[in-house]
Amino acid sequence: MKNQSRAADAFWGGFYKFGSIVLFVALWQLSCAAGLAPETFVASPVTIVKTLGNYILDGSLWRHSSISLSRAFYGFLLSTLVAVPLGFLLGGWHKNFERIVGPLLIFLGQFNPFALFSIFLLLFGIGETSKIALIFWVAIWPILYNVSMGVKNVDPLLVKLARSMGLGRLGLLRKIVIPSSASFIFNGLRLAAATSFFMLIPAEMMGASKGLGWLIINAQINYQIPKLYAGTVTIVVFGVLIDAFFRLLERKIVAWRQPLNL
Amino acid sequence: MSEINSIASNYIASGANIAQISPASFVRADLEKKFSRRVMAWYGIIFFLALWQAAPYLGLADARFIPPLSAVLAEAWSLMATGEFFIHVASSTQRALLGLFAAVAVSIPLGVALAGFFPRIARFIVPLLSLLGNINPFALFPLFILLFGVGELAKLAIIFWASLFPMLNFTIYGVANMDSAILKTAKSMGASPKSLFWKVILPGSLPAILTGFRLGATTAFLFLIAAEMLSANSGMGYLVHNASLNYRIPRIYVGVLGIALLGMAMSLLIDKLEKAFLSYKEEAQAA
Repeated sequence: MKNQSRAADAFWGGFYKFGSIVLFVALWQLSCAAGLAPETFVASPVTIVKTLGNYILDGSLWRHSSISLSRAFYGFLLSTLVAVPLGFLLGGWHKNFERIVGPLLIFLGQFNPFALFSIFLLLFGIGETSKIALIFWVAIWPILYNVSMGVKNVDPLLVKLARSMGLGRLGLLRKIVIPSSASFIFNGLRLAAATSFFMLIPAEMMGASKGLGWLIINAQINYQIPKLYAGTVTIVVFGVLIDAFFRLLERKIVAWRQPLNL
Repeated sequence: MSEINSIASNYIASGANIAQISPASFVRADLEKKFSRRVMAWYGIIFFLALWQAAPYLGLADARFIPPLSAVLAEAWSLMATGEFFIHVASSTQRALLGLFAAVAVSIPLGVALAGFFPRIARFIVPLLSLLGNINPFALFPLFILLFGVGELAKLAIIFWASLFPMLNFTIYGVANMDSAILKTAKSMGASPKSLFWKVILPGSLPAILTGFRLGATTAFLFLIAAEMLSANSGMGYLVHNASLNYRIPRIYVGVLGIALLGMAMSLLIDKLEKAFLSYKEEAQAA
């Protein structure tokens, strides 16, 4: 009895979790097979999977993906190196610094990354640097915001306690501030990684000759519908994977923190 | 970028609290402190603008690529004098408003109806909605161009798509996480589905809906600019793109600054909207 109800629970859990997605894909396939969706515009899931298989086998999918991923990675790395220390400073490590630089950063945060991309193209040329600069620009804000929030949310009692026990500034940072703001920092890193990959696609659509963004815009220009859908699906899959990777990393590293049940 | 706005509101909030709790004798000192803080808030921005103006003269930057602020402002003035600037502002604003309006008209009734009246269907469909919401609107842009052509419809579709899912997901979340005691009370007092919707569910989930609206509007505006850069013949994104194609460098900077100001204006407007809609919340806090 008990086993049966557990199996039923697992079934209903899975049903609620994936049922709508499965249904959506099934309806998509059926309407393509029945000729309800025009073949010139809509590729069926089976066609997409076949196309994906071909591109994986001839290695072209990996060539474009690896270029996109490495661009996103370098931009993300650069913004992490700049934004994490800056976030600590903004979070109250130095009050006047926060008061002077904070509003400037808020002002700069309003600048649209795509509009700035034109300027980056001017300054850095159409090579890799301008795309990495764009990603740096978009990834820096979530990290800055979350790190400074995390530092602000450190329990002052802990800080006072550690100080009264004679812990120095560096020790305070290492033993109190970093551990208690770790989940905020991870949240910022996860958002920044997602944003990096997200914004890379339009950047590659505007000025690149390789990468996933170029792949889909090129497919659209050449009217290669299955290729267009295959590229889009690849982008979605990578987006989901990046998110899952950072969630896993957070669970492994910030193991002492109970997850927030929102 | 919207996250940065909440840093801003945090600043304002902390300032306001200090003013409220200070005893009368400290008001003067407090005012001075507040004033110096206000000034300090401008230090960074003023320094940045001054550096921008001075950089070409100091040899820090090439004036061809980074023209001084004065040249950019002169270009802005000439664009405004011919009225061209306002045409672009108007066409971007019009697109943003149309797309947002369509997204609001679909997402809020749909979200409230799903979560409020058909919770099982809502639970079933939420994973699909969050998957669709995670799809990069840009990955879909070529598809939209195929389906809707290069005209206005493709751009409206991208704004609609980018703002629909944050709003829909937040609406469902807001309704599903409402205080169930209020719902049960209203039901036990015999409220009809109609008054349940207008008097209980909608006001109760409004804070979440407004958060979704802010998120949706910010994303939509971001993508509008990019969509206008890829294919349009008017709008702020087009202004920047066209200027960069024609190598009119100061004009690029005018566009970039204009877009930032437009974005700021939009977020201020949403602040006002939130205040107007959630006025009852503030009263509760003050009491």
